[in-house]
Amino acid sequence: MIECDVLVIGGGMAGWFAAIKAREQGLNVLLADKGYVSKSGETIYAGDTAVFDPDAGNDLAAWLEQVDVIGEYMNNRHWNELVFRDSRERLADLRSYGVQFEEKDGRVVRLPHPHANIVLPDTHKFPPTVSEVVHWLPGFPEKVRKHLIKIGVKLKDRFMVTELLLQDGRVAGAIGFSIEGNRVEVIKAKAVVMSAGGGGFRPVGYPTHELTADGHAMAYRAGATITSKEFVSPHSTNPKDPAWPPMYLFFSAGHSAAQPGMYSAPHLFNAEGDEVAARGVAWHGWIDAEYEAHEGRAPLIADLGKRGVLPVSGPGGHGSMFGHATGGIVPVNDDCATEVPGLYAAGDSCGTCFIGANYSGFGFATAHAAATGARAGLGAAAEAKGLGADGGIDEKAVAAATARLLEPLERKGGFTPNWVTQVLQNTLAPYFVLYVKHGDRLQAALSTVEFLRDHIAPKLYARDDHELRLAHETKNMILNAEMKVRSSLARTESRGTHYREDFPGRNDEEWLAWMRLKQEDGRMVTFKQPIPAEWRPDAAKSYEERYPMRLPNEVPGSGAPNAAGEGR
Amino acid sequence: MAIESIDFALCNGCGICVRNCPMDVIRMNRETRKAEIRYQADCMLCGQCLECPEKAIYLKPGWPKPYLLGWG
Ligand SMILES: Cc1cc2nc3c(=O)[nH]c(=O)nc-3n(C[C@H](O)[C@H](O)[C@H](O)COP(=O)(O)OP(=O)(O)OC[C@H]3O[C@@H](n4cnc5c(N)ncnc54)[C@H](O)[C@@H]3O)c2cc1C
Repeated sequence: MIECDVLVIGGGMAGWFAAIKAREQGLNVLLADKGYVSKSGETIYAGDTAVFDPDAGNDLAAWLEQVDVIGEYMNNRHWNELVFRDSRERLADLRSYGVQFEEKDGRVVRLPHPHANIVLPDTHKFPPTVSEVVHWLPGFPEKVRKHLIKIGVKLKDRFMVTELLLQDGRVAGAIGFSIEGNRVEVIKAKAVVMSAGGGGFRPVGYPTHELTADGHAMAYRAGATITSKEFVSPHSTNPKDPAWPPMYLFFSAGHSAAQPGMYSAPHLFNAEGDEVAARGVAWHGWIDAEYEAHEGRAPLIADLGKRGVLPVSGPGGHGSMFGHATGGIVPVNDDCATEVPGLYAAGDSCGTCFIGANYSGFGFATAHAAATGARAGLGAAAEAKGLGADGGIDEKAVAAATARLLEPLERKGGFTPNWVTQVLQNTLAPYFVLYVKHGDRLQAALSTVEFLRDHIAPKLYARDDHELRLAHETKNMILNAEMKVRSSLARTESRGTHYREDFPGRNDEEWLAWMRLKQEDGRMVTFKQPIPAEWRPDAAKSYEERYPMRLPNEVPGSGAPNAAGEGR
Repeated sequence: MAIESIDFALCNGCGICVRNCPMDVIRMNRETRKAEIRYQADCMLCGQCLECPEKAIYLKPGWPKPYLLGWG
């Protein structure tokens, strides 16, 4: 058994900050990561981060307005303000850890929201944006890794955490195993920060396959509330070599961290040669492309001008990429504590509802991860310090958790994780399940997911240590699928990246509310959490003013009060 | 197809690729003390193994298991 004061699970931007801030309080901090810290998670692919700086002329009210309009009022204004206000200090922190930024005359270069340096064709409609970002230079994850080691954070690389261990109703540690050699270890901790990122279904063309919503799943099983799983993260790929990056080929922009600068966003044409007017929904017109496919007019061609033409194809089973900072474990205070005593959440694992129903600003995800990471680290440290001698973990509970961990290896037969993952992908990837949604189709998907949950998941088997990891990831993906499908079914309207063909409009009467879920008597229940009245859009404004982004076949106010919104 | 090969003659056994792979595709062969592709089907083409100091690793578009896109 390993002992520490604060255990941080997952070492991306959020975990880095949590570990550093807790360590700076003089505590014994362990950072465990499934991969090798600095080579795993989404953070390493990010190229920019948003920094709110009043001295640079940034206006808080204008930034908040941007998130409201693009996030379609599903953003949490309190968290918007906290993250924006923290961002300047987090930038200073990163610089002090040795991270280098694009600079000019000794000052970090501030760039407008990339819509200012991406030339949008006039067929793209997008609400005006004011937020600004800064770019770090390549090699930043290695710089932070060095800093973590220098200040004495203990790193446990290539160690997958599978379960939180509770003692007398509070988190007392976690159990996991080394990816190579399946050595099981229990880590005892006075407080735990969950910063294991978000999760998708191993999307084609995006290198985020290790992110299988493990953090959401572990916290849910420990009793935490999860929010906003109905929103998705639409990203296209190209049909020539769909699995091959460039993964940044949004069809409205060729934005790439590797090649920042000026871009002409492509004009998009359907198979009949007509130009597709991207209405800006989800900030890169994805719904228009999905709808072209729905109407039988795919493939689409992006005209990149001098860079040639590029066929684009629909995303499959992303669900997470850039859906980040919305869905996740609900924090109950500004320190990112959760409903589970001793458990904190940060980054993509944390459901602050910071970005709202659409990705509402470039660089917001990493700014959110940094801010929540630092807050969770400080919160966890304070709690750990306040605890006296720790009580230990019940041996029987440890034995039971160990048995659950090793169960797939003990089985003589069953279903291979890769086959089950494929079945799950086939269930969720088609555009008509999680992108152009409909109640009937969601219900059908739910039946399959429930069957996978009840009949297949318990019979997953692993032939070696590698498959043991895949088996646990697959179980988490099945749980994540249930969360996404149930939340999508419950929200009987369209909003942001949640598009319901059967309810093609926002319904402010019923749905200015967050969709939450939690476990009750072993079952997943969904419920509404109303958005505070003072954050709602001005009812005196017309529907079009409240929602400048148009939906296919839009019916303003369409939507229905739905028992499922409160029921189970 | 995904990670395609690791040049046995070039590999110096440093283990950077094993460590860098978030999907645990590459493992060290204890006998030869060289890196080998053990779980090719799980390669997600992130390319982090290309940090190989000997340039011994080759990747190719596509991966060896079927996949489904949103539409196509
Ligand atoms: C290609 C790409 C480009 C992006 N570009 C930008 C950008 O330019 N600007 C921006 O702001 N955002 C960007 N984002 C989003 C942003 O990178 C993420 O939202 C953010 O970095 C999340 O940080 P995190 O620390 O919460 O999670 P991550 O960085 O994803 O880290 C999670 C870590 O947890 C570990 N982990 C997971 N499960 C377990 C487990 N069971 N046990 C142990 N460890 C575990 C993982 O190995 C990983 O290291 C981009 C994302 C992608 C994929």
